[in-house]
Amino acid sequence: MNLERVVFGFFIILALALNLGFVIGEVDNPSHHSPWLLFSALMVGLITSGLKLGDRSQLGALVLAASLVANLLLMIAVSVWAIAEGGMEQTASPELMVTIVSLGYGALASNIVSVSVLASDTLMSRR
Amino acid sequence: MPSATSDLDRVAAVVLQFMRGPIVVLLSVYAIGISGMALMPGQDADGNPTRMNLFHAFYFFTYSATTTGFGEIPHEFTDEQRLWATVCLYMGVVAWLYAIGSIIRLAVHPVLLRAIAERRFARNVNRISAPFFILCGFGDTGSLLARGLSDHMMRAVVLDADTERIKALRLRNYRHKMPGLCADGSVPRHLLDAGVQHPQCRAVVVLTGSDEVNLKIAVMTRFLNPRLRIICRDTDAEHRELLANVGEVALVSPFEVFAQQLSAAISTPLLRAWEDWLVGDDSVDLEHPLPPPRGHWVLCGYGRMGQALHETLSAHNVHVSIIDTAEHPGKGEGDGEGEGRRIRGRVDRNSLQDANLTDAVGLVAGTNNDEENLRILLSARAVNPDAFLIVRQNRHENELAFNAAAANLIMQPSLVLARHILLFLLMPTLGSLLRHLRTAGIGEVAELARRSLQQLPGGAPLLWSEQLADPFPVVPGCTDCIDRVALRDLLRDPADRQRSLEALPLVVTRGGGHFMIPGQDFALDTGDTVLFCGSRRARHLVHANLNNPYTLHFLITGNEPPRSWFFQWLSRRWPMGSSDADASREGATS
Repeated sequence: MNLERVVFGFFIILALALNLGFVIGEVDNPSHHSPWLLFSALMVGLITSGLKLGDRSQLGALVLAASLVANLLLMIAVSVWAIAEGGMEQTASPELMVTIVSLGYGALASNIVSVSVLASDTLMSRR
Repeated sequence: MPSATSDLDRVAAVVLQFMRGPIVVLLSVYAIGISGMALMPGQDADGNPTRMNLFHAFYFFTYSATTTGFGEIPHEFTDEQRLWATVCLYMGVVAWLYAIGSIIRLAVHPVLLRAIAERRFARNVNRISAPFFILCGFGDTGSLLARGLSDHMMRAVVLDADTERIKALRLRNYRHKMPGLCADGSVPRHLLDAGVQHPQCRAVVVLTGSDEVNLKIAVMTRFLNPRLRIICRDTDAEHRELLANVGEVALVSPFEVFAQQLSAAISTPLLRAWEDWLVGDDSVDLEHPLPPPRGHWVLCGYGRMGQALHETLSAHNVHVSIIDTAEHPGKGEGDGEGEGRRIRGRVDRNSLQDANLTDAVGLVAGTNNDEENLRILLSARAVNPDAFLIVRQNRHENELAFNAAAANLIMQPSLVLARHILLFLLMPTLGSLLRHLRTAGIGEVAELARRSLQQLPGGAPLLWSEQLADPFPVVPGCTDCIDRVALRDLLRDPADRQRSLEALPLVVTRGGGHFMIPGQDFALDTGDTVLFCGSRRARHLVHANLNNPYTLHFLITGNEPPRSWFFQWLSRRWPMGSSDADASREGATS
């Protein structure tokens, strides 16, 4: 057992879980998508990227890249919601909601990539 | 690359020569057809006189020449136009048939096919990015050698003058593709194509059936690339002298190699067994190697093998009787007591009894005829069933019969040669290693054999060299920097640090010097080259360990180094040994 693996694994899987929680539901129904989940997914994602800075191994670089992509997409989603609505109220129009949730799906995909890379790295090292 | 351009020139020349006629015919037919079509008077839809312009005429001719018919455009044709169109159709079809026939003849033209094959071969060789060897001659020895190189993950390029052999080469399933060209290796252009000046080319192995060709290849290679190693099948005395003038040509004769091996088997049986084990001979018994018995020997056949063995056995004070059909003038006076007898004639029960086989400990059936050798075995067994039998198998295809004959030792010249060359190519330091072991005495050899069995119980080891990076890849932000690696640490299994990988370091080369059979605690320096023998998995993992600083650090210290900046900062702030390191330290002390 290695402390670094535990902490990093915790954050990256948490980011994935929050992200999934945010995007699940009807894509254009604002009441199915909580702004708090989006916000916390972004925060956890940022922490994950921060934890991975400085790792010079090949797989570390891949995980860092994937989590940066997720953060970028979530940040765009947050900005769209904040700018278009003037505050993240849950009364966003369905058209806007579709854009935001689509970005969330993109972030979900890259979070899945980083979790699977992490899992395969752990399995390969066999210890 | 000069070879490529000359090939290209030849291809271009052949194509031009073949296509000159059809192109001239096609161009003239097109010119006549198009201008005629444009000159024919026509009518537009309203009946006004008009003519086709040149572009429309060309368009018409293009579709009609190949498909004969698309309709009459841009306007319905007049009779004059239809007449000319008919002429055009027949001309076009005939011209095209002629052209297509020429293209097909060109496509199967042997000169062109050859030129294309050479070009493709040269391109494949050019693309090789790892060390490789050139094999000239792909007979029994050549194909065994290629198989051995493939088993050790090495590459080779093959030149042989026999088409069938090159076809056979294409069907082999080597680990790396081995490009082959059906060509005479003594032509410099083919040697260049085979990569004699390629920076990754390590050696040329000359194994063709003809002494003259071997000599030519050696000379050409020496001129084309003076730094290259040349290994050549040994020949008669005359060519040996000529080859000596070429300079630094390693001559290998299967019979001399075998005689040396037999000599080694008599004087240092364990070392000999270890050598066999190293080339993957799984019949060898490393724990209790069986030396050939000393005493009276009978030698049947006094050719190259007989002479080489005679010298060796005499050097070990072994009495030898010789039976051969030919007279050997000047050597026949040893009749009688001291040297053993020489009997002239065929080998049969009588002559074997004359040669005193009943009291002999061993017999060598060493003629160059396989049937004869097998027959000698049968007669010998009838006369003396306990004798140690060494038999020479000349042709690979007779293998099953020889295996069934159950001789104590089967000497296959092509196999002996292929194994010897393989070791020479894979381990340039082999000679010094064996010299070291011979002088080191029986204790060290026994220790080596014991360690070999312990580390590699599976046998059939792989030989490979690994060079340490200079400087070492260092884990970023790591406080206890690594500048030296003990062999023990390098050979740890990353899955379980306490276990050792199935690999045995044989030689460490540092600068110009060699360290033979380094121990587990040997400290490696940057830039060292280590020669290992070991399993495929070990080869893979040692290479990966050396190139991943994190794994290397873990193997040496037992600690997983913190990878990211945050955890590096954390470990500096609160230094604490992880449970991993404690466990391994306990393991190391116990």
